Amino acid sequence: MTAASPAAADLSATPASAPLLRVRELGIAHDGAPTPTPASASFEVRAGEVVLLLGPSGSGKSTLALALNGLIPQAVPATVTGSVHVAGLDAASTPVAQLSTHVGMVFQDPDAQLVTGTLLDEVAFGPENLLLPASEVLARAEDALRRVGLWERRAENPDRLSGGGRQRLAIACALALGSPLLVLDEPTANLDPAGIEEVYATLGEVVAAGERSILLVEHNLDAVVSITNRVVVLDQQGRTVADGSVDEVLRRRADELHDMGVWLPVSTLAALRLRRAGWHLDPLPLSPDELTAALEAADDPAGAEVGAAAVGAAVVGPGVTSGPGAPASDRAPVVEVRGLDVTRRRTEILHGIDLTVHAGEFVAIVGANGAGKTTLLQAIAGVIPVPKGRVRLGGPQGVDPARADLRGLSRRIGFVFQNPEHQFIAHTVFDELAHGLRRQKLPDEQVRERAHDVLRRFGLDDKADVHPFLLSGGQKRRLSVGTALVAGAPILALDEPTFGQDRARAEELLGLLRELNEAGTTILVVTHDMQLVTEYAHRTIVVGDGRIVADAATAEVFADETLVRAAGLRLPPLRRALQGLARHPQLAGVTRVDDLPGGAE
Amino acid sequence: MTAVVDPYVSVHAPGRFLYALNPLAKFAAPVPAIVLLVFVRDLATPLAFLALAYVVLLIGARVTPRLLALLVVALPVAAAVLGLSMSLWTDADRVDRSVAVAQLGAWTLYGGAVEIGFATGLRLAAIVALSLLAGLTTNGPDLVRASVQQLRVPYRIGYTALAAFRFVPRFGHELDVIRQAHRVRGAHGGRGPFAALARWWGYIVPLLAGAIRHAERVALAMDARAFGAHAERTERHLVPWRRRDTVFVALMWAVTIVIAWFFFPWTLR
Amino acid sequence: MATASRLPTRVLLVCAAIGVATGLVGGIAGVLTPVVLATAPFAYGLLLGSHVLPGIIAQEVLRRPLVAILTHLVAALVASAFNPAWAGRFIGTALLFGAIQEGVAALTRYRAWGPWRFFISGGIIGVLVAVVVFFVAHLSALPPWAQIAYLVLSVAGPVAWTALALAIGTALRRAGVARR
Ligand SMILES: Nc1ncnc2c1ncn2[C@@H]1O[C@H](COP(=O)(O)OP(=O)(O)OP(=O)(O)O)[C@@H](O)[C@H]1O
Ligand SMILES: Nc1ncnc2c1ncn2[C@@H]1O[C@H](COP(=O)(O)OP(=O)(O)OP(=O)(O)O)[C@@H](O)[C@H]1O
Ligand SMILES: [Mg+2]
Ligand SMILES: [Mg+2]
Repeated sequence: MTAASPAAADLSATPASAPLLRVRELGIAHDGAPTPTPASASFEVRAGEVVLLLGPSGSGKSTLALALNGLIPQAVPATVTGSVHVAGLDAASTPVAQLSTHVGMVFQDPDAQLVTGTLLDEVAFGPENLLLPASEVLARAEDALRRVGLWERRAENPDRLSGGGRQRLAIACALALGSPLLVLDEPTANLDPAGIEEVYATLGEVVAAGERSILLVEHNLDAVVSITNRVVVLDQQGRTVADGSVDEVLRRRADELHDMGVWLPVSTLAALRLRRAGWHLDPLPLSPDELTAALEAADDPAGAEVGAAAVGAAVVGPGVTSGPGAPASDRAPVVEVRGLDVTRRRTEILHGIDLTVHAGEFVAIVGANGAGKTTLLQAIAGVIPVPKGRVRLGGPQGVDPARADLRGLSRRIGFVFQNPEHQFIAHTVFDELAHGLRRQKLPDEQVRERAHDVLRRFGLDDKADVHPFLLSGGQKRRLSVGTALVAGAPILALDEPTFGQDRARAEELLGLLRELNEAGTTILVVTHDMQLVTEYAHRTIVVGDGRIVADAATAEVFADETLVRAAGLRLPPLRRALQGLARHPQLAGVTRVDDLPGGAE
Repeated sequence: MTAVVDPYVSVHAPGRFLYALNPLAKFAAPVPAIVLLVFVRDLATPLAFLALAYVVLLIGARVTPRLLALLVVALPVAAAVLGLSMSLWTDADRVDRSVAVAQLGAWTLYGGAVEIGFATGLRLAAIVALSLLAGLTTNGPDLVRASVQQLRVPYRIGYTALAAFRFVPRFGHELDVIRQAHRVRGAHGGRGPFAALARWWGYIVPLLAGAIRHAERVALAMDARAFGAHAERTERHLVPWRRRDTVFVALMWAVTIVIAWFFFPWTLR
Repeated sequence: MATASRLPTRVLLVCAAIGVATGLVGGIAGVLTPVVLATAPFAYGLLLGSHVLPGIIAQEVLRRPLVAILTHLVAALVASAFNPAWAGRFIGTALLFGAIQEGVAALTRYRAWGPWRFFISGGIIGVLVAVVVFFVAHLSALPPWAQIAYLVLSVAGPVAWTALALAIGTALRRAGVARR
């Protein structure tokens, strides 16, 4: 960044014939961190490749991504060992602005990437910074917007785009810089299934055009394997342990990756399980289509039987109520909603909602971004004001959240917000848990006992005196669930508990919820992850445009693909693979990985 | 480009000249008048400036219900209330006591006090009305661009301000959610000003912490797009200083001088 | 670019974020101003003191040159967007308060960040505001006791708001936000 204004062309001058990106034994320690993560990562990206970077949570993938265009260490203080070379330039010493013409970045949160007031200004922002002539800026902006299909909406405010639309805009912004390499760090973590599909369709087109390479960090593998050429895997400390083609890494070393805690496509997990039950599936399938094909080609293993639970519970058809666990329709109703309309800022958001939830049910609420799921859950829990007499919690003698005082309410239902930081009110983890108990005027002794009990259960005992904001993401989430539980509420409502979490943490959390559920707690959860819904929820409520468009046993809801797609959702991968399986009717009805044979060794 | 209803897009109102002026001109034009008003003590001078501001606004700005409500209801009522209360607060020992306006037991409201009170009310109303010239007809981004292009404010600072406009609705929403969350958890329940203070205190840290983290992420995204690469950047939206801006400022200053000269020495009697 | 490149984008945007949050407070203070002037003009200093918040929180969180004035400007812009009628006043206050806070910090060469330093700028602001508003609102017409109350509250206001801003800074540091 010299003051003698170098022409824009100077910025993109590169030494010839180097790989686009070369990472050598890269170690990065954030200021104050005791050990470096990643510890020693090495790989290369060459022109035209799509490389998937995998690793367990906390292995330093996001940190590594920030080092690729010099943001680490130039904008974020950290100690860096090893080297990153971008088109032959050293990323630690070349200015970020110059590197940005070689590496385009797309981050996880679409909102955090917006600067200006219209789509066109937003895409023009990068080229303008490069001091390109205005005509060139416009030409690049138009090209980039057309590629992601947003040119027609160029005059709109980015706020009016859906989540998927905003992420496509972020991709256009990266494209407009002209960089031959795009780095995307979990670009679809906040999106509904239709939005995810949109983003990967766009990326697929960018790749097909042939002149860009992509490095992708992503937990949701089901969506990406189809466009990937190569896979790089980091272990927990952030050392490269595998680097090769999709076949070499994902297919041949799937067992090893699975043991390391790396998440695999659902179809691959299912196939691994079937292999254990004696099925011959080779090569290992990575997508629903491949799994279908492999199963159609495979013979029934001698003596293999589908788990009894699956046959009983998962066959779709009238009269069958649910997948997981036992349905609870004969038990007492704990949530009753009748004719509920919710109006916020003079717009009616929910229209005439009727629903009943029985004690001990595990209910998932799904729907597209903006459908009204959060509003519905908050109305039930009394978080937002609702008209009197429409909601009743706790059966005939229960309370109406519109009339009840908050103390009474919090003993009936616990609410977990999407962002745990929003709901923390105390200065230590212990006080956070104790707050709800002290409000019930319990004696100190009992408060301490019960709070510590929850701390132990959630693996937070050594954090009792820490400020809640200083916990890691997964720990914050567990604490927020703990605070909702500790008051002893028999109903727990959670808004996108898996938001921004990797799959391992999501599984851990849902496992915990299942335990609670089995012990009698009624669970209501809003989520975008259809496979999780299938694995855990007895019952699924589909919300679309402020109305309930479907409310039935989970298996039944997903049996109607037209309805599911119309609501902006997609079938969970396993169901996509197994439904309509001609050769193995005993598998055709299975929707949960847990119901496949080969589970119990 | 078609106009969209949002804070970033400027108003297209043909025939309404204020929108076509450089924002800096609209800020510079009333400055001498506002400074003068600080030292004025009579009734006529503020009334004259008030009239000037009304005329310019009604000709130069789009006459919306909001503008009318401001000019016809809000400002006069505020001036009257202020004038009345200042008359009550004025020290009765030091005013002209020749006219008694009202009497309540031993206490008398004198004409002198009323004059002083209303002079203050009018002065504040005139200052506000003059500020409205720029305030009502300028959008934030244009002000930022003009500052960068004419005042040579570094563009990185200008863009910081633009990014700030994007934060406003987001933080408003965050605050809503934090308030709901704390309410549900029963933080600092109870009524009265002290409970309310304790409640608001509880919102501050989550709100600011979230805001700062968000800002840090936005900064990374901006750096990743070459923000600050050069001492200047391409500017596609020019907000030029035209001859009409000079004319507007000169006219406003000339009128200010005329009014000032005419009503000198700006004291009551 | 000499001055700008000394402030990384991260610092600029953190200032923007603090400016937006405190600008909302400034907007509320703007709405209350006519009410206070009408009912208890001598207490105006208490209200105006709220405008010290942006600079002090920014200096507490970031502890570097120029952050106070920058945050003040953003806060003024945001407050003006809500309250166009007070735009001139907001920007003037921002420049004045920001310059004083920067000036005091510069005198210690941006090395001393003890609470006393913030209270000194709070006190100076109080005195200056007292004088300016005295003329604008023609407070010399008030009875002597009200004039004295006004002067005392004008200085006490900014000092009290300074204490509040420092408490916010401490709380943010405890929450791991102001770690640098
Ligand atoms: N700004 C920061 N300051 C200090 N430590 C950090 C910072 N960001 C991340 N870390 C730490 O660095 C390590 C690697 O984090 P990183 O976010 O890169 O992991 P990741 O592989 O992307 O994980 P995930 O899959 O959960 O996104 C973690 O231990 C994390 O706590
Ligand atoms: N406080 C509010 N004021 C006005 N409108 C609101 C408010 N909260 C939500 N909305 C609107 O109500 C609709 C439903 O919002 P809601 O947050 O319930 O959707 P959602 O299904 O949870 O979406 P997502 O999957 O994106 O979280 C949206 O169009 C949203 O813009
Ligand atoms: Mg990450
Ligand atoms: Mg939601």
